[in-house]
Amino acid sequence: MSEAAIISVRGVTKQFTGGNRTVTALEDIDLSIRRGEFVSLLGPSGCGKSTLLRILADLTEPTDGTVSLNGKTPGAARTDRDYGMVFQQAGLFEWRTVQRNVELPLQVAGVDKQTRRAKAHEMLDLVRLSDFARHFPWQLSGGMQQRVAIARALSADPEILFMDEPLGALDEMNRERLQGELLRIWSDTRTTVVFVTHSISEAVFLSSRIVVMSARPGRIAASIDVDLPYPRTAATRTTDAFFAKVTEVRTVLHGVPAEQAAR
Amino acid sequence: MTATRTATTSVAAEGGPAGQADRATPRRSERLSATRKRVHNAAGAALVVAVLAGLWEGYKALGRAVDDVVPGTKIAFPVATDDLSMPHVWSILGALVEPARRGDPMLLGSYLLGETGVTLRESFYGLVAGSSLGLLLAVLFLHVVPLSKGLMPWLVASQTVPLVAIAPMIVIWGGKAGAPPWVAVTGIAAYLAFFPVTINTLRGLKSPPKVQLEFMRSVGAGRWQVLGWLRIPAALPFVFAGLRLAATASVVGAIVGELSAGTGRGIGRAILTFAYYYSNGPEKLYAAVLVAAAAGIVFVQSLALIERVALRHRHTR
Repeated sequence: MSEAAIISVRGVTKQFTGGNRTVTALEDIDLSIRRGEFVSLLGPSGCGKSTLLRILADLTEPTDGTVSLNGKTPGAARTDRDYGMVFQQAGLFEWRTVQRNVELPLQVAGVDKQTRRAKAHEMLDLVRLSDFARHFPWQLSGGMQQRVAIARALSADPEILFMDEPLGALDEMNRERLQGELLRIWSDTRTTVVFVTHSISEAVFLSSRIVVMSARPGRIAASIDVDLPYPRTAATRTTDAFFAKVTEVRTVLHGVPAEQAAR
Repeated sequence: MTATRTATTSVAAEGGPAGQADRATPRRSERLSATRKRVHNAAGAALVVAVLAGLWEGYKALGRAVDDVVPGTKIAFPVATDDLSMPHVWSILGALVEPARRGDPMLLGSYLLGETGVTLRESFYGLVAGSSLGLLLAVLFLHVVPLSKGLMPWLVASQTVPLVAIAPMIVIWGGKAGAPPWVAVTGIAAYLAFFPVTINTLRGLKSPPKVQLEFMRSVGAGRWQVLGWLRIPAALPFVFAGLRLAATASVVGAIVGELSAGTGRGIGRAILTFAYYYSNGPEKLYAAVLVAAAAGIVFVQSLALIERVALRHRHTR
């Protein structure tokens, strides 16, 4: 298993020091993620799931431990654009059209204009926003902006996609629609996805595996395989297997008996 | 099923009534209402001018009627209303179309416009030089924090030193260096212009939200790519706010500079001359001030025009 791991985390600890107080956000995290997996980091707020993702993405450094991405350090993987990142806010550049927002990672990479344009078209096709290439971000709804952010994150063909509560700011209906879109994009691109969320049903619907985390200090409580068959659709959400999985995850998360938690 | 949904249906559902087809319509009506707004603004500006002229003449008429003393008391009007202190609006405007000097066919209006042109050219050069320096300083301060901490108090101090003290020094230095007087005037304009540009640009460069900065980091963008593709575009609205202040300041700087420089040209010089011969023709001084003010407005407004073009796609204007 560790041979096939595209992401491997060994003994990662993260402490924040503010004033004379030291808070341990993550303690002794071990995690392996295989190529092509869709892994959700699930847990209550304060469990360090976002911090862990940010360590993987080299947006912050661990206090202790090692991380390997695609056989490289996170820093090298970042500058090689081995991963793409989607944040909770789309964070599009408001002075650029949708098209030019999607081109940005390629522009950073020094890709020529023609290739950039073609690639951006392809990515906007993927997220089904080709008709909006010339629009500016403020002309788009929140869900559409987030789809542009996904297209942007994928435009440099990364092998890994990091998503930090990307659907957290959306309403329930848009959320479910985008979850479906995301699974389709995942199956089209075969990227490895690491997805941070605090929604149990979201994690169950999307993931091939859920890493459940507990808070204070942030630790991995369990790793749960989600064996519901892909492709998953709106109908999947109403199956007994789905409910059973949600209940299982909830039990691990809260440590409460299933009957009680379901109520 | 999700995977087979077409772009149009998902768009219509997500965008709600503001689908693509519907979107063109409100935009056209937006443009119409923009024209109407512009007409309203022009009418408002004209109204303000008319009211000011009316107040001027009304005060003058009142003062003339009661001989500048509040009736029944000994309280004098704060400003005397005789023709020497407050010439009629029409004599000020009339002076513009009369010869500037006896025995010279050139009209006062065209003379003043010519002098204003000289001043605006100095202001423009000063603005360009000053804001270039301001932009450079802002970028430098962003990247070399100790420098900004060390230098900022001095920059603030430079702006609090009275201009009347600085201007002659710059003129003398310029003269010693053999530069023509307008160079010194431009230097003074630039001296006033750089500061607001530095302050505002620095704020603007620091304005991008964390998510945009982290995104740039996530795609491995270097410092200069972050500057060129994120910080500078994000700073533009701030830069323009600074430029507007700088434009006003550079006109003031140029006029004060002219007073110190022995150029004999420029609206500042003309104002000084007319102030000297005030009793011979008070309306000429008022006319000169009027033209200077109008020119300043045009100068700053043309900048606002550039701003509107440069930021036309921004939602938050």
